Amino acid sequence: MSPKKTRTCVMEIDHREVSFPEGVTVLRAAELNDVYIPSLCSHKDLSPFGGCRMCIVEIESMRGYPLACSTVAAEGMKVLTDTATLREMRKEILQLILSEHPSSCLICSEETECRENQHTIRKVGVTTGCRYCPNDIQCELQEVVERTGITDIDYPIYYRGYEVEHDDPFYDRDYNICILCGRCVRMCQEVRGTSVLAFKFRGPEAQIGPAFGKSHVEAGCEFCGACVSVCPTGTLADKASKWDGEPDGIRVSTCPFCGIGCQVELHHKDGRLSKVEANLDPEINDGQLCVRGRFCMPEATHHHQRAKKPMLRRGEYFREVTWDESIDEVAGKLKGIKADEFLMVVSGDLTNEGLFAAQKFVRSALGINSIDSTARESLPGGLGLWAKLFSLSISMKGIREADCIIALGLDSRFYFSVAGVDIRRALKNGANLVTIDARDSNLASYTKHWLRPTPGKEGAVLDAIVQGIGKSNSGFKSVAKKTDVDEGLLAQAVSTLSSGENLAVVIGPTIFEYEANEELIDALTRLARRTNTTFMPLYNGANTRGAFELGVISELLPGVAKAKGKGVTLSDVIEGTATPKVLYLVGEVPFFDRPDCEYVIAQGTYYPPFEVDAFLPAASFAEAEGTLTNVEGRVQELVGIEDLPDSAVAGFARPDWLIFSRLAEKLKCSEFKYKSAKAVLKDISKTVADFPAKADRKPRRLTPKAKLPIDRHAGGSEGADPFLLVAEPAGFAHRGTDLASKVEGLEELALEEGFRLNPDDLGKLRVDSGERITVSVGKLTVTGQAKADKECPRGTVYFHRPVAYGGLEHRAELEPLYRLRKSPVKAEVARSVEKKRSTKAAPKKTAAASR
Amino acid sequence: MTKTCVDPKKARKILDRYPSGDGTSLIHALQDIQAEFGYVPCEAAELLCEHLSVPISKAFSAATFYKAFSLEPKGDVVIRVCTGTACHIRGAQTLVDELCSILNVAPGKTTKDLKFTLETVNCVGACAMAPVVSLNGEYHGNVQPGTMSKKIRGGK
Repeated sequence: MSPKKTRTCVMEIDHREVSFPEGVTVLRAAELNDVYIPSLCSHKDLSPFGGCRMCIVEIESMRGYPLACSTVAAEGMKVLTDTATLREMRKEILQLILSEHPSSCLICSEETECRENQHTIRKVGVTTGCRYCPNDIQCELQEVVERTGITDIDYPIYYRGYEVEHDDPFYDRDYNICILCGRCVRMCQEVRGTSVLAFKFRGPEAQIGPAFGKSHVEAGCEFCGACVSVCPTGTLADKASKWDGEPDGIRVSTCPFCGIGCQVELHHKDGRLSKVEANLDPEINDGQLCVRGRFCMPEATHHHQRAKKPMLRRGEYFREVTWDESIDEVAGKLKGIKADEFLMVVSGDLTNEGLFAAQKFVRSALGINSIDSTARESLPGGLGLWAKLFSLSISMKGIREADCIIALGLDSRFYFSVAGVDIRRALKNGANLVTIDARDSNLASYTKHWLRPTPGKEGAVLDAIVQGIGKSNSGFKSVAKKTDVDEGLLAQAVSTLSSGENLAVVIGPTIFEYEANEELIDALTRLARRTNTTFMPLYNGANTRGAFELGVISELLPGVAKAKGKGVTLSDVIEGTATPKVLYLVGEVPFFDRPDCEYVIAQGTYYPPFEVDAFLPAASFAEAEGTLTNVEGRVQELVGIEDLPDSAVAGFARPDWLIFSRLAEKLKCSEFKYKSAKAVLKDISKTVADFPAKADRKPRRLTPKAKLPIDRHAGGSEGADPFLLVAEPAGFAHRGTDLASKVEGLEELALEEGFRLNPDDLGKLRVDSGERITVSVGKLTVTGQAKADKECPRGTVYFHRPVAYGGLEHRAELEPLYRLRKSPVKAEVARSVEKKRSTKAAPKKTAAASR
Repeated sequence: MTKTCVDPKKARKILDRYPSGDGTSLIHALQDIQAEFGYVPCEAAELLCEHLSVPISKAFSAATFYKAFSLEPKGDVVIRVCTGTACHIRGAQTLVDELCSILNVAPGKTTKDLKFTLETVNCVGACAMAPVVSLNGEYHGNVQPGTMSKKIRGGK
């Protein structure tokens, strides 16, 4: 559905002729023409509410005082927004609102004197000013009060006396200062589709919160923070930055946590990242984020375990050294190294600059090809499949504008939320959604047809549907039998999809993770030939596409060309077929234990969980500037917001590209003369044909130079075991470290812990949620915690498979399952017979602890 | 409270009267649940919301907004004392105080044995016979203080 052309109309506001697009409200028309009408409950993404009644206006030939926010503007309308009567009435209305809102932050006779005295420096008690509300100075209510000109409140003030709610992670709630504008409620219901928040009770007891007094976690809050962002008061406030006050500045940057690449606004205070808000960028996220982007950034970079100093092993000690000393030693170890003696493993979360410099360092400075990345594991199905996918039309906007959407294996509550929000936006405009998912998901709750095959058969269902679209009567009997989906439902879904023109196909990472991918690839090939089709293949890792394009995988050169010469790969080391002398881990921890190498170098933001010989501290996403390539191929800017000079507190971290440059210089390689990240990007654009020379938000379709292999696998899971074990790729990781180990709120949510089973299955096994179970696949047996999850279909066990293990030491016993490449696979599940042991995390064995 | 167990069969029977996925019948269905159980139990509301594809928060919002719904079990006898203007002048407060002391509960609450619920209402529209007390919908006019104990035992 292409956006409809809207007619431009003309009306009169305050005796001035103004134009506006047809269909908008009077308030929006005024906003578009820079006329201020006070309002507390309206919001651009939300339906008109008419709750605060501040936006009353006078409209000729309309009785009384209509609300600007809920009156649709019409051609020739004559509106007055600022008459004496309106001013008087607004003052009265606002006073009534304020009669239930503590107002020392709004009206204070001592305000001017107090402000003057606050700056006095002396060793006696001085006025420090009131600090009741975290939103002071940034408050919409304060602004409205000031502009309305209220200096006193005639009504008795009623204080509600609620306790401030601190229980849930990420944000606090103080409903004493809530003005019941309902923005959070509408945001939660209309835009996010979560409906955790609602108005409860009425009259003076009216309040906002989840049903039946549940906590936000219990009620299914996805902690996207959209409610916090739209709150006009200080009722909802981020825990992490609650009392930071007004930020020193705000800069637009890119979220460094997943491939969607949402635009964020970084608030900084005293040179440090304090808070993240969504940017109103219409191309990707349009004011929405997920829990990672909204709340996890400050903690992920400011965590107390953050490693900020270069370290070297000296005998039995692990010592802090200078950069020169560490560069000397590492360069010495790398000098003249041979291809089979070395492996560099690079994280797909690095910036384009870091990735490019890494591969250039290995290929030019060392002259070998031993470089690999877990990006390969984030892109399962063979590099050829992804080369194909990246050359298709991938677009977030395409989802919003589609009239038919197929969503496969995506639950957008915590992962790729913004894609889910875009699907909802399309549904609002009349699109139809067909969900193909073995697991229940938030999308399944508002879909038109939910096709629920046995896990692993999603691709087959998609293939059948794709073949059926547009054809009058296609038989679905065999597919229905094979996938366990109702035949009639399949036919209905196909007829729904046939009615639409613009199709969007959104595919979650779990689907690519299935070993049997033959039908999925067939379906994608068919879809690729269809016109008016947009894709959204989702994978983990922020810059996985960048790693793919810039050749951080041994068989690929920058620009997706085939590399010559064989190097050691990561799977060689994991399987033990190669033991390089020197292992260089760049922001990546693909092992639980130190591999059998002579010398291990780690370059990252946190120490790996095993002993290393050299540690080079890399700058985090907040400290280094650079660019990230998102799933659509946009090269987006990452702003280095923290630019503090080296010190014991701020640390000595360096951007990855700079570390490689210095090492290369030491190795007498003349090709690294980078002065800044921008110079590296320029070098990339010289090497890779369609890569921009500076950050460019234009989507790019990939043109691969080489034909790459696709791993096609047919068949299903054999065996007679009763359960189907399904691996879901774990997404809450950044630079090889699990985010839940660094961000307290995520740890509390424990989204990726344990085996998930249907409660009925647990009942049959006589296991309670939280108890341990034994899962056996063939000869392999592991034990782990079971969790009841009614979203899992009966007869399945779901678990999250990470590709990097930093911060996951408590899950080390599951490693054999993580290494198992098959999914789904038949498994035997039983109640664990081992003695009861604490389910708490085992003590963390870190390099820091072993020092 | 002892009577909080909800018979899922009874709840199912109510749900079957409404087409599944139709959120507009939320209030009707809630009224039926209220009539069946005497209150809106959390479990029944959850079943209902699943049936009608309505978020549970919406049902809670409606159930707490309208006074016709109660989220707590009600007693066998619901005593409503009118405290409208006419009844107030003719001594409704004395009746409320008397009932509070007999039943040992505050207005709006239910006795521990789940036999009585005491409520105050603002006007029942029978001002001519003020003060008015209704016992399970049966109106008693011109109620004299000191007779409440007998009245509620009789109304059992």
